[in-house]
Amino acid sequence: MGIQFKDVSYAYRGFKVNYDAIGHITLDIKPQDEFIAIVGHTGSGKSTLVQHMNALLLPTKGRVVVFGQELPPKKNEKVNYLRQKVGLVFQFPEYQLFEETILKDIMFGPKNFKSTEEEAMEKAKKAASIVGIDESLYEQSPFRISGGQMRRVAVAGILAMEPEILVLDEPTRGLDPKGRKDLMAIFKEIHETEHKTIIMITHDMDLVSEYAKRVIVLNNGTLAFDGPKELLFEHPHFEDFHLDMPTSLKILKHLEKEVGIPYKPQYDYASLLQYLKEVSHE
Amino acid sequence: MNNITIGQYIPGDSWLHRLDPRIKMLSLVVLLVGTFIIPISTSWGPIASMGAIFIGMLILTASAGIPIKKMVNGLKPIVFLLTFTFFIQLFFITDGNLLVSFDFSLSLTSVGAMIALIVFYNWSKKYVKFRILYFLFIVLALFAVQYALPYLSFYTYQLDVYDQGLMRAGFIFIRITNVIIMTSLLTFTTMTTDLNYAIESLLKPLKWIKVPVDVIAMMLSLTLRYIPTLLEETEKIMKAQASRGVDFKESKFKDKVVQIISLLIPVFVISFKRAEDLGNAMEVRGYVIGAKRTKIDQYHIGFKDIMSLITVILFLGAIITVRILG
Repeated sequence: MGIQFKDVSYAYRGFKVNYDAIGHITLDIKPQDEFIAIVGHTGSGKSTLVQHMNALLLPTKGRVVVFGQELPPKKNEKVNYLRQKVGLVFQFPEYQLFEETILKDIMFGPKNFKSTEEEAMEKAKKAASIVGIDESLYEQSPFRISGGQMRRVAVAGILAMEPEILVLDEPTRGLDPKGRKDLMAIFKEIHETEHKTIIMITHDMDLVSEYAKRVIVLNNGTLAFDGPKELLFEHPHFEDFHLDMPTSLKILKHLEKEVGIPYKPQYDYASLLQYLKEVSHE
Repeated sequence: MNNITIGQYIPGDSWLHRLDPRIKMLSLVVLLVGTFIIPISTSWGPIASMGAIFIGMLILTASAGIPIKKMVNGLKPIVFLLTFTFFIQLFFITDGNLLVSFDFSLSLTSVGAMIALIVFYNWSKKYVKFRILYFLFIVLALFAVQYALPYLSFYTYQLDVYDQGLMRAGFIFIRITNVIIMTSLLTFTTMTTDLNYAIESLLKPLKWIKVPVDVIAMMLSLTLRYIPTLLEETEKIMKAQASRGVDFKESKFKDKVVQIISLLIPVFVISFKRAEDLGNAMEVRGYVIGAKRTKIDQYHIGFKDIMSLITVILFLGAIITVRILG
């Protein structure tokens, strides 16, 4: 189960020519315990790739299999139910809010997937508490809260559908450092307690190094790298991916060059600090 | 979302593309006036001149390098109107010689057949590609069964086709087609920015009576500029709501209302936000309402432009002369 891409290509129809957004992508994503970051520069087909995962886009060539459902589907086969199994949070999801109250907006997703009013309410309250929306806000208008809170409400709207895989398209874009940290902590918590697979598009290599386990690098619509992050950052041709090094690795490399502290990769600041303390005690 | 074809600019480098936009717009107005001045009549003169305009328009289309297929696609939205006016004219003009007469009857058999047809139409319409044509075909069939199944009838009526009616119907049919081809020729060969410039420059005399022409032109160009942007935003929101389980294609009417709201409110909010951002960006770059502004593109009226204008004015003059003399 999970999601499989088998030699998938997708071409956008242009005025006269069709141009390929992604080409010949083969992937296997397990439904549990994966934390995948998809990186690549603007226009490399990241958003196109993730929109195949919940059947918003159908491959023009090749096949995608999402929880056993083949895409493109056979005639008269409905694929709508896949969107409950694979929850997709778009860029700037706060723009999709529309209901009168925050709670009603979070309930919109589950209600579309045939939950009764009470069930939807229960799921919405659970999702709201996961993202840290206070009970006192439930009856407020979603247009009268801060941008960071709006984003949390929008994320809760997807979480309330109880998807098995969570896909995030640049979830931290436009947030301040604190908002970014808080939001990522929520996703990490979901990943660790419920073992859900999380797939995240990002440009921030620090987020990749701190949270992701597996990294997919796209370059001009093709798969340039797919593997654990440890392998990516030690890749002999890392420059060819045109990616930035995470800050913690940059610091370590600098220290090795300038003061001779042996290079040993640490992927977040806490372990970096720990490592430096260890080294200085020796 | 990307299949809005009416009035879409087709890039090219024909003489029509290169004509000054002001001249093109003026010529269109003159041609339209000419087309409407030709009297609706059944003598051969007006019909021949209408046909001549039609052929002339086809030649112009070909010389501008516009594919005929595009032109036909542009006519599609008015197929319904065309057929409707054609049949109204056909049956309600009762001058001249009677050509054919149809007896229609509402009877138990024909009403039954009509209900069956409507049910069949509702069931089958999702499998048919040419919706409008199919709909017209069914409407025709509705009348055909009234003609063919007069058994057990309780009401009968007659529709007569006279030769005058047929000619007038044909005349109006060609006239509407001509008007559509003319206007689409303008929009096919002129960029929206050029069109906007033409409107602004032709409306300039209104400044004398204190009409804020440049503000109107700016509003027009911003509106045109933001159509694709808003379509894009709408598509994004549609996808986002589809990810929350909204099925825009197959759902009951009751659900549809909520779905439309889930689309409308976000798009409304976004367009206000966009407008505010745009206003700020314009102000930052020194835009002041009503202040004098210069243009990046200068337009010059050349020999060809003047010749084109003279040609269409001669054409209008000819029609007026014929009308007065005839």
